[in-house]
Amino acid sequence: MSFELIKDILLATVPLLVIFPSLFAFTTWMERKALARIQNRIGPNKTGIPCTRIGLFGLGQPAADGIKMIFKEDIVPRGADRLFHLLAPILALIPAMLILCFLPLEFPWTKSMQPIHAFLLDSAVIFFFAISGLATLAIFMAGWASRNKYSLLGGMRAVAQMVSYEIPLVLSAVVVVMGAGSLSAEKIVQEQNFLWFVFTPWGFAAFVIFFIAALAETNRSPFDLPEAESELVAGYFTEYSGFKFALFFLGEYIAMFAISGLAVVLFLGGGNGPGAGLHPLLDPWVPVVWFIAKIFGLIALMIWLRGTLPRLRVDQLMAFAWKFLMPLSILNILITGAALHLLADGRLEALTRRPNHLYKMIEGANPAMIGVLWIGSFLILYAAACGLDNLNRPGAKPRNYKYAE
Amino acid sequence: MSLQITFWILATVAVSGALLAVRLRNLIHGVFSLMIFFGALAGMFLLLMAEFIAAVQILVYIGAVGILLLFAIMLTERVAEDGGRRISSRGSFWGMAAAIAVFVALLLPAIRQTDLPKTAQTVQPSVEKLGQQLMDPYVVTLEVMALLLTAALIGAVAVSQGGKPKNEDEPK
Repeated sequence: MSFELIKDILLATVPLLVIFPSLFAFTTWMERKALARIQNRIGPNKTGIPCTRIGLFGLGQPAADGIKMIFKEDIVPRGADRLFHLLAPILALIPAMLILCFLPLEFPWTKSMQPIHAFLLDSAVIFFFAISGLATLAIFMAGWASRNKYSLLGGMRAVAQMVSYEIPLVLSAVVVVMGAGSLSAEKIVQEQNFLWFVFTPWGFAAFVIFFIAALAETNRSPFDLPEAESELVAGYFTEYSGFKFALFFLGEYIAMFAISGLAVVLFLGGGNGPGAGLHPLLDPWVPVVWFIAKIFGLIALMIWLRGTLPRLRVDQLMAFAWKFLMPLSILNILITGAALHLLADGRLEALTRRPNHLYKMIEGANPAMIGVLWIGSFLILYAAACGLDNLNRPGAKPRNYKYAE
Repeated sequence: MSLQITFWILATVAVSGALLAVRLRNLIHGVFSLMIFFGALAGMFLLLMAEFIAAVQILVYIGAVGILLLFAIMLTERVAEDGGRRISSRGSFWGMAAAIAVFVALLLPAIRQTDLPKTAQTVQPSVEKLGQQLMDPYVVTLEVMALLLTAALIGAVAVSQGGKPKNEDEPK
């Protein structure tokens, strides 16, 4: 065990452990502010610099919340499984932090240093899904260990929901893997140097499916049934207080960052973006900034959706995953295969060896065919979505509201 | 050196997880220690540079089998309490003797005859090769397996639905 190895390990992991929890603190503030604006309130605006009247738009709120959480009493219900009650919040945080390592996010701290990844794996995408699935266990553990009806119901709902929505999530990632010809996150990002996958019809459909499934995977509204406060008090963390609750909260937000990061890698071109060449010192930081900015774009979308949409019913939730998202994503895979086959013109195997092959295939193809392909696949997907909707809810039409005159 | 240390840590975790899974009275604790064992095995695969197998180990054993076990336990009665209902084991001596006999007679010679690799290397069939193999020579096998699994899935749904009475009043 040499000094170099320890230094490398620290340089790879400490930035993740520092940057993302700080971003979490900022995100909680951002979410509260944005939700407040949507609901015509002001939101946190008092907490700023201590002992002064300077409010700083309430930016001190996360710090105040953190201090409050630490000093709160830690209550363990009688009859609870004490060991599991303690372990569940920790287990909720570990997979969330672990999957951050699979994002191709490079922090170039020194000029001479090779950029360090925590993990550089050929099958990073598979690993991502494998490990993010472990969060289900933590939620189940919390629900079971609390010895509380509401907790257990919340835990059961969470498990059912996360198992169901993992399928469309993975199936929509398959589309990107087909286009990129690789499972490594780095190569997928490199493939999108010129053309982000979200700008292809199948990629766009996959992105929408992926985003919806990601909302459900991270228990975000409108899929926050496991913690539905109007039905289940607080779901699986009803019996959690103090810092254990804070750990759950942190785990949930880190998982949000991680899954948005994966969406950025798969569909939005990773750290690709303009801005290189301003200054040699700043250059290596451009991808990092782009990456985090894109993650924040997706988080902002999640917050907006939370402020806009009402919560689903349980049966709607399950029907949506199994009867709508899953057939649509399978159809999407078929369309991707057909489109790639047509574009490659029988040279697919030779082409996938070269970088940016999707872009080159499109560049070399007949423009008329590209038009037909783009519009055709868009129409097929749209028609399929409408058809599935009609099948699932026959006779559904816009509701006629009768307001009091 | 660091590989050795990692191996011993993982081995300890795996063996103790397996032992706990067998010995614990509380079934849910047992399932979670079984998952610790699976996780340690995935770590071993990573140590051998077999990353795809490690991922599949986590995905299938912890993600799917573990959740399945938990659901099965949830649907059975009284899992957490000790309850005084203990399975008394008779003839544990003979069981132990048989296990040791199998180990000495079958496993030990097999282990001693294999020459162990000195250093971990990237397993040659990489993920890409694996995919191509599945798509080219083994595509029929793959399809048959997929068909079988789909049939099993539909069968499970059909069985769990049971014989429903025909005229059930559905909400209009």
